[in-house]
Amino acid sequence: MKLLLRYPLPLDEMPYTAEVILETGAKINIDRATRDELIVDVPGDDVEHVAELFREKGVEVRKLLKLITWDEERCIHCGACISVCPTRVFTFNPSWNINLEEEKCVRCEICVKACPLSALACVE
Amino acid sequence: MADTMTEKSIEEINERIEDGSVRVVTADRMSEIVSELGAEEAAKEVDVVTTGTFGPMCSSGVFLNFGHADPPIKMQRVWLNDVEAYAGIAAVDAYLGATQLSEEKGLNYGGGYVIEDLVAGKPIDMRAAGYVTDCYPRKDLETTITLEDLNQAIMVNPRNAYQRYASATNSTDRTLYTYMGTLLPNYRNVNYSGAGALSPLYNDPDFETIGVGTRIFLCGAGGYVVGMGTQHDPIHRFGTLMVTGNLKEMNPEFLKGATFHGYGVTLYVGIGIPIPILNERMAKKTAISDADVVTDVIDYGVGRRERPVLRTVTYEELKSGMIELGGKEVPTSPLSSFFMANKVADELTSRIEQGEFFLSPQVERLSRDTVVKPMKQPELPLVKDVMIREVKTVDDRASIAEAAKLMMESQSTHIPVLSGDGKLAGMVTAWDISTAVAKRHEELSEIMTKKVITAGLEEPLELVIRKMERSNISALPVIDDERRVIGMVSSDEISKLIGKRKKWQWKLRI
Repeated sequence: MKLLLRYPLPLDEMPYTAEVILETGAKINIDRATRDELIVDVPGDDVEHVAELFREKGVEVRKLLKLITWDEERCIHCGACISVCPTRVFTFNPSWNINLEEEKCVRCEICVKACPLSALACVE
Repeated sequence: MADTMTEKSIEEINERIEDGSVRVVTADRMSEIVSELGAEEAAKEVDVVTTGTFGPMCSSGVFLNFGHADPPIKMQRVWLNDVEAYAGIAAVDAYLGATQLSEEKGLNYGGGYVIEDLVAGKPIDMRAAGYVTDCYPRKDLETTITLEDLNQAIMVNPRNAYQRYASATNSTDRTLYTYMGTLLPNYRNVNYSGAGALSPLYNDPDFETIGVGTRIFLCGAGGYVVGMGTQHDPIHRFGTLMVTGNLKEMNPEFLKGATFHGYGVTLYVGIGIPIPILNERMAKKTAISDADVVTDVIDYGVGRRERPVLRTVTYEELKSGMIELGGKEVPTSPLSSFFMANKVADELTSRIEQGEFFLSPQVERLSRDTVVKPMKQPELPLVKDVMIREVKTVDDRASIAEAAKLMMESQSTHIPVLSGDGKLAGMVTAWDISTAVAKRHEELSEIMTKKVITAGLEEPLELVIRKMERSNISALPVIDDERRVIGMVSSDEISKLIGKRKKWQWKLRI
């Protein structure tokens, strides 16, 4: 499962993620990182424990159940989203309609701007 | 004699449509059929090849007639959902263009969306302003209309169905938002448009059947080819069509308003054109595959009319999802929809098979020798016309104090820093020096800007001004191909030039 972590401001330069990894031994994958926000992929069994430890350290934790929303009614399957996506979330099916693999999404939002039909959105 | 055996007329094909015996295939299947049966047999077996395209076509719009108001108004300006339509045609006629932007919502809404909303039956807020005459006493008007309320709504698209289109990439180090979509920095993606082997004009490149008066499928309605489109360029296989159709008969599934981020609004248009297989020659021409349709990969990082061509590429390669560019595999994205283009061709096929759509012979052939000329314009000032040629530079091993001294002596706030080999290594400004003093830096290389925005000798000043605005800088070095500094352009020189021009204009007015 993916977690959105928001670090307390001002940043106190503490290696929270490293600490949580060492304490839990969880294989945490960092999908995307900005200055005070991190999206991490945590194996299912470790999610609760990892989330709890981050919260204890004062980090805001939100479970990302929906990474990206796709308005299939609006979509015309052009494919403008395909080449801009850094993690290859979008591919064509043999009949040239879009296939979306949500679990690959790191919420960079590049596709949101690239979609001419405004059919993609990253909701909170 | 063998050739006359397979010669058919459009009347004969229409008879077959009438009696239900017509044989129709979509263009993407034709290459297979011809390679299996040979062109001669294929021409006997197939009566009609259907083509289709569904892409963003900016040069589109609708003529609207609103009926007369009471008291009557001669509309001088008219807005539909806050998007202005051209009203300089009689009293209550207007032309709404697809790319016109909403005055309130900017790039997020515009003509393309209004057209889609009209077809979807949505109510549209209308506002008009006129001038008073004896026959039109009313000054302004506000109402709400739907497509049904209009007398006529006729789509007339000046340039649609480009035979093929160039694909786009970006050499610069920033993301570009263009009418060719989002172009990632450093050639990280390639976007393309067009329907490849399903493209109407690519299946009839010599316009033997597609011409003035050809009946077509336009956004769900029956429509016609008016003639060649604007910027029709048949010699370079960039033919275009002007098309028309009744908006009232269109289907919102086959036309969509859209926004290209940072560029603006457009309209996705679905066009299907039937090609009668009158003979072996037409069978051969419609047998093209994506591998036969070649286009250029163009660098949109260059803001000029003539952009560099990086390579040629086939639609087969583009459609594979990856192409090779400068030794790297780069992902590709179509901007037009193959899914919808197939749907257009399938829908046209089914209408012909069910006897609902008949073919029409062309009234006149499209031009095969029209050329596209660039705009006639006065020469614009270039960097070389205004740049300072005597530029003081400083070595990157110099001290901050030396740079400061040079700045004072040359009365320049921007000094290019050169590396040992005489090439541009950075820029140091008066601001950098103050920072150095405040933060107690010692080395010039610590404080200078290393990622320097530069200009070329032949670059139009207009583009340099855009760079200055974008990066919030007031001067930039002019460099040659070897990154040697040959001049400087600053906002001072530009203001002087503008000042001169104003004086000149003032003189003209007297």
